[in-house]
Parts: sequence; C-alpha cells; structure tokens
Amino acid sequence: MTQTTDPFNTAALESAPILLRTEHISKSFGAVTALRDVSMYLRKGEVLALVGDNGAGKSTFIKILCGFHQPDSGTIEFEGKPLHLKNPLDARQHGIETVYQDLALVNDLTVYHNMFLGRERIFRLAGFIPLTDNGGMRRMTREHLNRLGINLPNVSSLVRQLSGGQRQSIAVARSLQTAPKLLILDEPLAALGVREGGLVLELIQNLRRQRETSIILIVHNYNQVFEVCDRINFLHAGEIVLDKSTSDTSEEELVRIVKSGLGRAAVAEAVASTTI
Amino acid sequence: MVTKEEKITAGAPPSPKAETGPVAGVFRVLLRFPESSIAIVAIVIAIVFQLKNAGFLTALVPVLLSATALYGLIAIGESMLMITGEIDLSAAKVYSTTPFIAYYLTQAGVPFGLAALLALAGAALIGMVNGIITVRFGVPSLIATLGMLFLLNGLTLTVSHSEPVVTPSAEPINTFLGEGQQQPIGGLATYSGFIWLMIAMVVLTIVLRRTRFGMHTISVGSNLLAAREIGIRAERVKIANFMIMGFLAGLNGLIEITASGSTDPSMGDNSLTLYGIAAAVIGGTSLFGGSGTLVGAVIGAFVISSLLNGLPLVGAQQTESDIIVGIAIVIAIILNIVVNRWRERIARL
Repeated sequence: MTQTTDPFNTAALESAPILLRTEHISKSFGAVTALRDVSMYLRKGEVLALVGDNGAGKSTFIKILCGFHQPDSGTIEFEGKPLHLKNPLDARQHGIETVYQDLALVNDLTVYHNMFLGRERIFRLAGFIPLTDNGGMRRMTREHLNRLGINLPNVSSLVRQLSGGQRQSIAVARSLQTAPKLLILDEPLAALGVREGGLVLELIQNLRRQRETSIILIVHNYNQVFEVCDRINFLHAGEIVLDKSTSDTSEEELVRIVKSGLGRAAVAEAVASTTI
Repeated sequence: MVTKEEKITAGAPPSPKAETGPVAGVFRVLLRFPESSIAIVAIVIAIVFQLKNAGFLTALVPVLLSATALYGLIAIGESMLMITGEIDLSAAKVYSTTPFIAYYLTQAGVPFGLAALLALAGAALIGMVNGIITVRFGVPSLIATLGMLFLLNGLTLTVSHSEPVVTPSAEPINTFLGEGQQQPIGGLATYSGFIWLMIAMVVLTIVLRRTRFGMHTISVGSNLLAAREIGIRAERVKIANFMIMGFLAGLNGLIEITASGSTDPSMGDNSLTLYGIAAAVIGGTSLFGGSGTLVGAVIGAFVISSLLNGLPLVGAQQTESDIIVGIAIVIAIILNIVVNRWRERIARL
C-alpha cells in the first residue's frame, strides 16, 4: 500500500476538488486597512497554515471566513458556489467551524451547554413548550468526548472549573461535533503546554489522514506546524505574499525568505535566488 | 436522566475537602445553591421578628407577602437584566406609567381587561425602547434607563395633571389582579400579588434554566464576545430581557392600582427600583452578568419586606429601618463576593 511512503495521501490531494476560494478580499475598519487583497484557495482535506506577524490581518481574514465580519469587497466561493455569510451561525450551518483564540466558551454554563451553544437540542414538553434536552445533550457530549479520547470526569461541570488544557479540548471538541467541511483553528497552540499542544497536533494529523475536513491553521510561527500542514501561506500587510507547499520547501528555505523581509518583491527575489 | 456516578460528583467539583464530614456537606450545599445562604438569612430574620412580636408570622403575613410581591416582581426583572449585564433604573416609572395607559384606554372606551393587556404590551414596548437605545446606540443601560425614568415621570405627571384617578373596574379582573390583597376577602385572592410573583418566578426560572433563550441570556452576560463568536444574536437577547423587565414592572403597577383602587401618578417612588435591585443583589445575582437566580431575588425581596415591615413592629422608626436595610445590602454583597471566591478556589483544587 502507499500508506507507508505517503501516510497522508498527499498525492491524491492534487486532484482533490477546491473547497474554498477567496478572490480579492478587502476589509477596512475606519481608516485602518486590515486586508488589502487576499486571494487564496483550499482543497478538500488540505491542511493550510496561515502565517503572519501581529497585525498582518490573519484574525480579520478568518473572522470573514467564519461570518463574524463581512468583507468590504471580494468574493468567497465555497464548494463551487458563492458564499455570503451573515453571521457565525450561518457559517456553522454551512459546515465551517472555528476554534477561536479566546475559545469562545461561556464560564457560567456547563460543559455540555457550551458544547451545544447556539444549536441547543430541544424537546417539546406537552408537544409545544420547547425546553432544552439537557439529558440528551449531556449524553451526546459524553459520547463525543469519549470518541475523541478526551478525558473529562464530569460534563456537568461549569466551564469556569476547568483547566486551560481542558477548556481548549472542549473548544476543539465542539468544533468537531458535526463533521465540519472546513475547520479554522486560530492559534491552537498558544497558551498550551507541550503535552496539550501535542494532543492538538495529533488531532490535526488524524483529520489530515482522513482527508475529509479541510483545515486552516492560524499561527504566528510556522515552525510549530511545519510537520502537520500541506501548504503555508504568508500573510503580510493584508496580502498573501507567499504560497508554498511544505513538500517543495524546507524550514531552512522559509527562514531565508522570512529574513529577507516579506514585501512581495523581496519574496519573489528570495524564491528566485533559492530555486536557481 | 442523571446517571448514578454523575449524581455523586454533580454537587461540587471533585475535591478531597468537599467530600468529608457533615460540615463540608453543608458547605457544599451552600456553594452549590447560591440561594441557600440568603434563605438561611431570611429564616433567621423571620424567627427573630416572630420571637419579638408574635404577630409577625400570622397577622402580618398578607402585608409581608404583598410587599414581597411588590419588590420581587421588580427584582426578578432586574435579575434577568443583570444576568445579561444590564440594568433598568426606570422600572418604578414603568410601574406608575402602565396603569395610566390602561386608564386612558378605558376612557377611550376599551374594556378594562383588554386595556390592561394593551398596557402590559406598552410596558414591554417601553422596555424594548430601553433595550434598543442600549444595544443599538451603545448607551450604557444605566444612562439610557435614567433618561427613561425622567421622561416617563414627566409624561405621567403632565398627562394626568398630577391628579390621581379612580382605578377602572371590571370584575373579576380586579380581584384577580390585586384587589383581594387590600380587602382581605379570604382565600387565595388575599395573596394575589404573591401568586403573580410565584408564577413569574417559576415561569422565568424555567425560561432561564431550561430554554435556548435562557442559555443565550446567560452567555451574553457571561461572555459577550464568545456569544457573538458562536453566532448568538446578543442584541436581540438583551432587548428581550429589557422587555421582560418592562412587562413585570407594568404588571406590578396594575396589581397596585387594583389593590388600592386608586391610580396615582405619584406612585412608583424610585426607591422601588432600588429595593428591587437590592433584592436581586442580596439574592445572589452578580452585577457583572452571567450568574444569578430568580429564587434568590424573591428571597431577597422577602428579606427586604421583612426588614421594612418587621423593624417598625419591634419599635424602630422608618428612618432607623433604612439603616438596617443599608447595612444588610452591603453585607449581602460582601458575602456573595466571598462565597464566590470560595467557590472558585474549591473548583480549582
């Protein structure tokens, strides 16, 4: 089998359909231009790292993809169709799940209520009074966490009682509840210890092996994720200035490129000089 | 639906301290139910007054419960709002304005029952305006509702020429609303205000704990950004809670005018709002949003009405009662903060 030489089935990725394509996305907040012109694509099952300095526009860009912000101009295509997201719930209904850097957890609610936040399961008491189906949500949360191998003694605990690593697990588990088509992870390794970070990377590898869910990883530093992603896009001053497959570059080459500065011309020059 | 092993750990987060001895057991109940500490305070107050004056838990009960209803309906609404991180200072004026809406509707020929319902819709609408000003224009609710307070006060006094009018009557609606309270006719009608309070408490507790709207209300107050990121329409949730507050204040006003038989533009002193907020806080609702209980708010209202009615009974002047009430409020808030700290510390063990 090809699995030994190509465990992630990277060869098949090249013929995988395009899941997401953005063209000329721009976004300003008052006088501040956050995104100038972002055009990118993502194949089905692909893991893409979006790398950039603070203020490069990473967060703004993913907040457009997850429906939190609306772009000033430009188009988004999802599964070959134009996509206009009104709000984050809209994005979730399209199969776009996001794990935010702040995790978007509500301290004063239980783990299972957080797990179903925004799409609570209800039952109708006496046929018409819609109440939350707490028992069902509790059971499904426990099953889901077991499936992911996340060990949590009590899903009825309030989130405020959990440790940092547990909170991160819950946020990630929530995003995987409905088998998303696109998973966006915003700084998934920030604020995590080595062991907890390892769990998240392992989870990404598992998804990558299955090639069902596309992933965008927002990271400050590509070193952390070079092993787990198929492609790296550098975002600089609101534009994507470099798009490289990890299979035809190396960490050394990226270091060289980044050192040369990330203006478009500088990148082109650095790439040219290394390939010749 | 709760499984056995869950029941064991559900009380408090698993910690060695919380599982040994009867003292720790009491401690755990205190931490699990924020209402329990204030419930103990309420019982102690009732016992002390009963020992001082044997009439407290017998003859005074109708007065005590109607006063609890008066403060409690405001306290429940304020609790819901405070859970979303907002507050309504205009509640007492919605309470005094709503009866006039009903009165002028009856003057225009609308039957009192329908007029009362329309007036309640008007009260909810006032709440909606408070909510829209707060969330759409980003005005802090403290200021938005302060403006509404003066506006409604001026409006009601101007339109009514500061003259009280006789409450319109349509039996059995009046008895049903609040009339039974003032002329003890025996039976349930004596406690009509309190019954309304219980209905509101039960219904809204279910809404808060067992509906999507309740979950979203807690989310918006606990972590507004998270609620938005997850796709909850935070503005709508807040506006709806302002409307609930308006509705309850209006209902409270209708209970009052049917009980007293007079629709007085000067009723609804601002201290009513403040006692309501105090009751909510004494009952364990946080001003910072995200947590609170309506049962606690009702017990808080009972504590306040016990102090206000009980202290004169044991010989205190009205002016002296306020000293005790003031101290009680501050102590209750300090206690809440301290108990919350314990709760978090134990959770981290």
